[in-house]
Amino acid sequence: MSSQPSGAGASPAAAASTGPAAAGASLAANIAAEVTAFAGEVGSSGAVTVVGARTHRDVGGVPLAGTREVCAPAGVWEHEPSEMTVRCGAGTTVAELAAHLARTGQMVPLDPVDDAATVGGVLACGFSGHRRLRYGHVRDLVLQTRHVDAAGKVVTAGGPTVKNVSGYDLARLLVGSLGTLGLLAEVILRTLPVPPAAQWLEGDGDPFAAFDLLYRPSSILWNGSHVWILLEGDPADVAAEASKLETAGFAPCDGPPPIPAAGRESMRPSDLRALAGTAGGWLAEVGIGLVHRPEPVQAAPVSPANALLMDQLKQRLDPDNRLNPGRRPW
Amino acid sequence: MSAVRPVGERSGTASTFPLQLDIDSDTLASCVACGMCLPHCPTYRVTGEESASPRGRIALMRDVAERGEADAAFVEFMDACIQCRGCETACPAGVRYGHMMETTREALASQTSYQPRLRRLAYRALGMPRLLGFGSRLLGLSQRLGLMRLVSLLGRVRPFRQLGAMTASLPRVPVRQAPLTASGDDVWLFTGCVMDAWMRDTHRAVQSVIEATGAGVALPPAGAACCGSLHLHAGLASDTRRLARKVMAALPGEAPILIDSAGCGATMKEYGHLLGTEEARQFAGRVQDVHEWLAARVDELPEGAPTSAPLQIAVQDPCHLRHVQQAHLPVRRVLSRFFDVVELDDDGLCCGAGGAYSQQHPEVAGAVRERKAAAVERTGASVVASANPGCTLHLQAVGLDVRHPLEIVAEHLNGGAPQ
Amino acid sequence: MPSRSAALVGYGRGVTSEDAAADAALLADLRGVLGDRARDNDFERGLYSRDGSIEGSPPAIVCLPDSAAEVAEIVRVCRRHSRPFLARGSGTGLAGGAVPVGRPVVVATSKMDRIVEIDTANRIAWVEPGVLNLDLSRALAPQGFHFAPDPSSQQVCSIGGNIANNSGGPHCLAYGVTTAHIAALEVVLPSGDTTVLGGVEAEPAGLDLRGLFVGSEGTMGIATKAAVRLTSNAPAVRTLLLDFDDVSEGSAAVSAIIAAGLVPSALEMMDQRAIEIVEAFAHAGYPTGAAAVLLVELDGLPGGVEAGVEIVREVAQKHHVGHVRVAADDAERALLWKGRKNAFGAVARIKPDYYLHDTVVPRSKLTEVLEKVYRIADAYGLIAVNVFHAGDGNLHPILAFDRREPGVDERVKAAGRDIVAASIEAGGVLSGEHGIGLEKRDYMGMLFSTHDMYTQDVVRETFDPDGLANPLKIIPTGSRCSDSFHQHVPEGAWV
Ligand SMILES: Cc1cc2nc3c(=O)[nH]c(=O)nc-3n(C[C@H](O)[C@H](O)[C@H](O)COP(=O)(O)OP(=O)(O)OC[C@H]3O[C@@H](n4cnc5c(N)ncnc54)[C@H](O)[C@@H]3O)c2cc1C
Ligand code: SF4
Ligand code: SF4
Repeated sequence: MSSQPSGAGASPAAAASTGPAAAGASLAANIAAEVTAFAGEVGSSGAVTVVGARTHRDVGGVPLAGTREVCAPAGVWEHEPSEMTVRCGAGTTVAELAAHLARTGQMVPLDPVDDAATVGGVLACGFSGHRRLRYGHVRDLVLQTRHVDAAGKVVTAGGPTVKNVSGYDLARLLVGSLGTLGLLAEVILRTLPVPPAAQWLEGDGDPFAAFDLLYRPSSILWNGSHVWILLEGDPADVAAEASKLETAGFAPCDGPPPIPAAGRESMRPSDLRALAGTAGGWLAEVGIGLVHRPEPVQAAPVSPANALLMDQLKQRLDPDNRLNPGRRPW
Repeated sequence: MSAVRPVGERSGTASTFPLQLDIDSDTLASCVACGMCLPHCPTYRVTGEESASPRGRIALMRDVAERGEADAAFVEFMDACIQCRGCETACPAGVRYGHMMETTREALASQTSYQPRLRRLAYRALGMPRLLGFGSRLLGLSQRLGLMRLVSLLGRVRPFRQLGAMTASLPRVPVRQAPLTASGDDVWLFTGCVMDAWMRDTHRAVQSVIEATGAGVALPPAGAACCGSLHLHAGLASDTRRLARKVMAALPGEAPILIDSAGCGATMKEYGHLLGTEEARQFAGRVQDVHEWLAARVDELPEGAPTSAPLQIAVQDPCHLRHVQQAHLPVRRVLSRFFDVVELDDDGLCCGAGGAYSQQHPEVAGAVRERKAAAVERTGASVVASANPGCTLHLQAVGLDVRHPLEIVAEHLNGGAPQ
Repeated sequence: MPSRSAALVGYGRGVTSEDAAADAALLADLRGVLGDRARDNDFERGLYSRDGSIEGSPPAIVCLPDSAAEVAEIVRVCRRHSRPFLARGSGTGLAGGAVPVGRPVVVATSKMDRIVEIDTANRIAWVEPGVLNLDLSRALAPQGFHFAPDPSSQQVCSIGGNIANNSGGPHCLAYGVTTAHIAALEVVLPSGDTTVLGGVEAEPAGLDLRGLFVGSEGTMGIATKAAVRLTSNAPAVRTLLLDFDDVSEGSAAVSAIIAAGLVPSALEMMDQRAIEIVEAFAHAGYPTGAAAVLLVELDGLPGGVEAGVEIVREVAQKHHVGHVRVAADDAERALLWKGRKNAFGAVARIKPDYYLHDTVVPRSKLTEVLEKVYRIADAYGLIAVNVFHAGDGNLHPILAFDRREPGVDERVKAAGRDIVAASIEAGGVLSGEHGIGLEKRDYMGMLFSTHDMYTQDVVRETFDPDGLANPLKIIPTGSRCSDSFHQHVPEGAWV
């Protein structure tokens, strides 16, 4: 039932031979070979960083000069529409993944600001997209990861099925770790059906009241005075919810303005209210508490107890500080 | 959760004594320890302790049954069970907890000094209507005369200790009560012991509602005083059997026997199991909760006085109606003919009364009652219907307006005039 | 497998007078913190010796704290005495996670059952770990919310247990398992320090320690408070019961429903034996003659729900469904769910004990693996009952047995191992929601490489370098010296 592997022609997996059984076996072997090759590139010594599309290269600091650059494997390797899972190389771009899935009416709502970003890059940063309100945090879309650790060995975490609690949840730990604990080689993600209808609306109403009015909107963006709301789902439901908004003074539109990407300010959803009326070209995700700012934002400090745990994790998993030196998620 | 403890201080090492628990191993093994009963157990709810849970108590029974010995802690753990049997209706495995606990109590009562001689005497008093009536009149009189000291003194007279303690929560014990008069022989109305002594007006209301359907009510002679329910829970099953024979002899014929106290009904429906005779089984087959009987005839009741807005009534199910007899729905069928019935959101969790339990374990019973009162408050209803005298007294003591469902119905049929 | 009371009687075995003296000193210190809520009598230790699994061994002492401060004190006392400790919620875990190993101190959270704050502005609630899952959803109902993870044990299992096991439930098909619903955790670390992992804010800074703690089965500390996310109650809900004369048609329909682009909020399957026992308990009108039923629930806005009902009908018809029953009202829906949610306990109507695994397989392999499960059970002379979360391929093959039959325990365990092997061979995983605990740790090697497990253990060790928090769970003994994976807990260390 796998749809055809797509993408990078150079990918050995893409050259999978015919016949289902043979395809299955050789596909697995080819994927393994790619991951192993990546592990070989990472090696077991010397500072190393993965480069993706370089869309988020400065998040959490820029890798130190002299750090060796490697590229994670790319390609959509296995997509089982009826299982709602997709396996791809961490170096696959989000655009490529999206195009592949769209053929069977599916998606992975990663929604980076720039879809030239790689899947591995999005996950390493742990940045959810603007539809997090409905689809949850990106880390909840990750089922299995394979990463290369500081010793150059491949580590598998999680599992290929849609549900799994076998062992410690290292996959969640890696999401947002900026590649400082391991370098993602391959991931299996959960897919979702593309909603049959989608509609943006805009207006000057109260975004918090709109949130309370609606059942699971996909996104509510707000710049302190103007609001953009995305509704998704069954056409009849989208129309009904839209008409509620229209009564409240909203009107259909094509979508929000570009989301500023320089800084992400994180707060409690209720604290957003204090931003009402303030200017500055920001766009906030209502219900989430995230403010996208056009200028960089200083990361919030972590508590001493947590910093100690994070330092020790880093120390134990990468004693020589060779994975993405210069970057630090805390 | 409060720091309520089911039992007092205990240390690790306690001296043991032999105890034969005659529960067969299939019954003991039938609990798979899934825990589904825990939230339905009032004593677990207020203590959070495994030893105060059905799963824990069964594990302890199993352990004692296998070992053939027990200690004081075991006795206390078993004694802290209210025997509400909420666990039994919740149990997907069909564990017959009630029978296991009755067997355990019986073993304790017959093989140990679990029920001291004087406590037994108090239970016996329940089967003696004259003595009970005399004691009650004395109590009622002292209440009227403000002789609270006399009440507490009377409570100290040993055979009355149980009853004396109960009076603390009694609003007003009647001094003299007009007797009930029979009106026919279509059904028996069983009048019981404590209830007849203290709450005869409830019987009067129940009788009037039965009669409103056109049926004639027969009343038992004095010999059928007590059903033996409290004795059974205390492990004095032989006393219950003795009382059961008396009750059966006093209510001959084929007519249905209607009960307006859930605890009595539950026990009388069990006479077949208890006595093991064909006669007892037949008798038990005639026993019905009065609401079960009325629910089938609810259309024969008159309309009653018209009201502007139907009264909101919260239904509190006595455990022996809901969990043992599973006859709680008929109460709603009768009430909803006239009123707006609102449900509590606690899945029929016990109120803590448990017959004599609330006197023996006031702290646990009080904490359980607090949960019930909070559930009642969440409904917003001002009147609570409860078809068991023990629950009624227990809940009235915290200021709730609790009445027997048929008292509320009778009042309504009478045009709202007090009985 | 112990006789149930061997746990009590056998405690004396192997306990030296030195051990007894150590226990007494520990008890004195714990009494200093808790008064008479630290217990060491045989009966109560016995009661805390097992969970919903089939293993058991008594702890040295049972603690019943009432506050986070007391939990922190207990952990500090345990550290001083170098004594392992182990959190316990309602004891319904099915993998032995709450089974004491190494004479630990059990820290039961059942008295810590307060809902501290319901914060609808941030759509979270702060709760203590002993709050029962269903109690929480009931408390949220007046505000139009619920806590989405709904294990079948939800009326009794605790939020702390849900967090530790990253529990799932029928409705996690659409809403995700526990980890997606926990914003922040107050935790007493094995060091005795208290910290908050995660946060209510959008993107808490640093590594996701919260995500690591969820599902760590109490081996990284004790959760003393949690900020759980509130999920809006759906405006429309439809529950359908489909019956089939053939298990494979039923499981094929599962795949087909998902493949049709539908994500039902729940998609459960029961086989014939399950239907019979469930009906005997719930009287919900389950068709006792059918080979299999699917319980399908759709929720959301009315348009999508009704469209979904039609898709389910069509797909079911293609797979030769017998009847499609749509629950008429809330009462009927509640009754159907009551049956489903009580299925495990109802197995006792066949045999007094059960043992189950909860492997997950690709949905397309359901038919194949189910057939294997029946064959394996037959081969070992056991009865298999299947009632499970079919929508995400999460099997719960229940082996019903009577532990009083001689030799049955070996057969049960062997059959269990074969079922796990068959599931993993089909591309599945070891556990979908019950966790690894004690019962499945020795199977970890079927799924993970030596190095994978080593890495996991390194991460665990960061939280608990001295191995005091619920030791010997999840990771097989000897993971740090790669040659000794199949080593079992030494005889006598536990019963
Ligand atoms: C009939 C039945 C049906 C079930 N159905 C499901 C189901 O549908 N889905 C599902 O996922 N599970 C199910 N389970 C398994 C079980 O109910 C869940 O795993 C549940 O979350 C356990 O909660 P508990 O409070 O009983 O935890 P316990 O069994 O007491 O403990 C489980 C684990 O959590 C740890 N723990 C407990 N509290 C804390 C804390 N505060 N901090 C740190 N660690 C802690 C313990 O150490 C232990 O490792 C079912 C069990 C039964 C008996
Ligand atoms: S009594 Fe029933 S519900 Fe309670 S633990 Fe035992 S089997 Fe489960
Ligand atoms: S009878 Fe009532 S108090 Fe006793 S164990 Fe059962 S539920 Fe608890």
